[in-house]
Amino acid sequence: MDTLQDKGRYGFQHIGIPPCGYMDYLSAQLANVIVGNPKEAPIFELHFPASSFIFNEAHTICISGANFVPVLNDKSIALNTPIQVSKNDTLHFMQPLLGKTSYLAIKGNIDSIAWLNSKSDFSSHIKTNDQFNLFERDVENKINSTKTKEQENKQCNINEIQKHIFNSNEIRFIPGPQWNDLKNESISNILKQPFNTSLNSNRMGYTLKGPSLQLIEQKSYLSSAVTRGTMQLLPNGEVIVLMANHQTIGGYANIGQIILVDLPKLVQHKSDTPFRFSITNAETAQSEYKQMQKCFS
Amino acid sequence: MIHYFKIMTKIFSNINWKVQALGDHAIQFYLPQKMDATIISEIKCFNDFIFSQQLKEIKDIIPSYHTLTLIYDIELMDAPIDFANDLIEKFTSERKNIITSTAVNEIIEVPVCYDENFGIDLISMSTKLNLSITEIIKIHTENVYQVYCLGFMPGFAYMGDVNTKIQTARHAQPRKNVCAGSVGIAGAQTGIYPMHSPGGWQIIGRTPLKIFDKDPAILSKFNMGDAVKFYPITRAEFDSLNENEL
Repeated sequence: MDTLQDKGRYGFQHIGIPPCGYMDYLSAQLANVIVGNPKEAPIFELHFPASSFIFNEAHTICISGANFVPVLNDKSIALNTPIQVSKNDTLHFMQPLLGKTSYLAIKGNIDSIAWLNSKSDFSSHIKTNDQFNLFERDVENKINSTKTKEQENKQCNINEIQKHIFNSNEIRFIPGPQWNDLKNESISNILKQPFNTSLNSNRMGYTLKGPSLQLIEQKSYLSSAVTRGTMQLLPNGEVIVLMANHQTIGGYANIGQIILVDLPKLVQHKSDTPFRFSITNAETAQSEYKQMQKCFS
Repeated sequence: MIHYFKIMTKIFSNINWKVQALGDHAIQFYLPQKMDATIISEIKCFNDFIFSQQLKEIKDIIPSYHTLTLIYDIELMDAPIDFANDLIEKFTSERKNIITSTAVNEIIEVPVCYDENFGIDLISMSTKLNLSITEIIKIHTENVYQVYCLGFMPGFAYMGDVNTKIQTARHAQPRKNVCAGSVGIAGAQTGIYPMHSPGGWQIIGRTPLKIFDKDPAILSKFNMGDAVKFYPITRAEFDSLNENEL
């Protein structure tokens, strides 16, 4: 499902409101910066099969993240490049070549209603609920590109970001509060065995395929806060990694936390090649996060 | 009519906050793991204290049964554990005043229609518990419940403690759709579904009140630390009060 996303809705998790926001924030920020938007501007997040777009007027756009082979009218267009589109141009996405989540940035402001300081869509969290339509919107949103002052494209190291997200099969995490409740054999399996993403993956969480993990003794935990990247161990031995639309608190064993800078790798991971986990620490995670953000300033 | 309810608060000199990093963008303060009114009162105090500090590094403050978690902005935070220890120290020295000011809570009264068309698990619970439906309703409306935390979905409040006589475990297989306003029991906990949703709690009735409103000035009817009491209403009263669309 395609949605409009920004950096997310913070400040309301204490009443159970999930933060939402873009999943692969690095690709989203990259597309925004390339068209000259602020890096945290609202952006379209697309999954394959993706929506088609018809432009009502001329715009500058950029597509980053997954490569779904974008085609403008009849010609394929490049990723991570500012593209000029004209009135009545159509944009289609042909096939999911690389990655899982693509971003379409449009220079200017996307006209959409913010709720609680964020334009991030909320509907994917909602099941069959008529009362909770926060936004009467879909991807055919009216797009107002206010002719902002021509900004120079910020220098950013596109290659470095691309390589980080798509050319690595190592995902790093920091052990969580219940790490020590795992059986030794399970700990060694996490660090030595390959893992893969399963089809049961969405904006709430990615379920992993890999060795079945076990706690030393079956315990129940009182619910406490979780966050994006939290690795929850389900009673059936599977790991689910929480994503943008995650519940705010959870009662499963919290065995670890994928570091923020590596989370886009998992977001974009396709099940054709397995990945491996390795342990890191908060200092490394934070310094690499900051380092990566320098690409956007 | 406003009732006041004194939450059991004691100033424990031995309450000992601990802190751990939760990955690279969260820190978690924690107390001994148990469902307990005094612990929740302590968490609320610490929560309100941190909130009052208006710290620019903090994006979210999330209380739960025995934990208080801060989600922080990596780019603004340099030494999270030092930051957390400073907060504990500052709070501990000011705690006495804070507790006195929050010791009295208003009771939020919630009307519930325990009609069997709404309380779809009442009949099976009555058999299992060997109690009449009238007794179940009487027991459920006797207690003043404490809101331990919110989660699962926007505005969903986990309340306790339910009298052991009517405690019933969740359904093994959750229902695909539970109606907005449904009042349920899961073990020692009771709660209300703010919106239509899948759910596994034992449903005993339905409130006509809107529990979550998207209007930013209203949002959640309940907050952590609130005191809640249910009272029974008839189907006719339910229909005249109903704020939820069917």
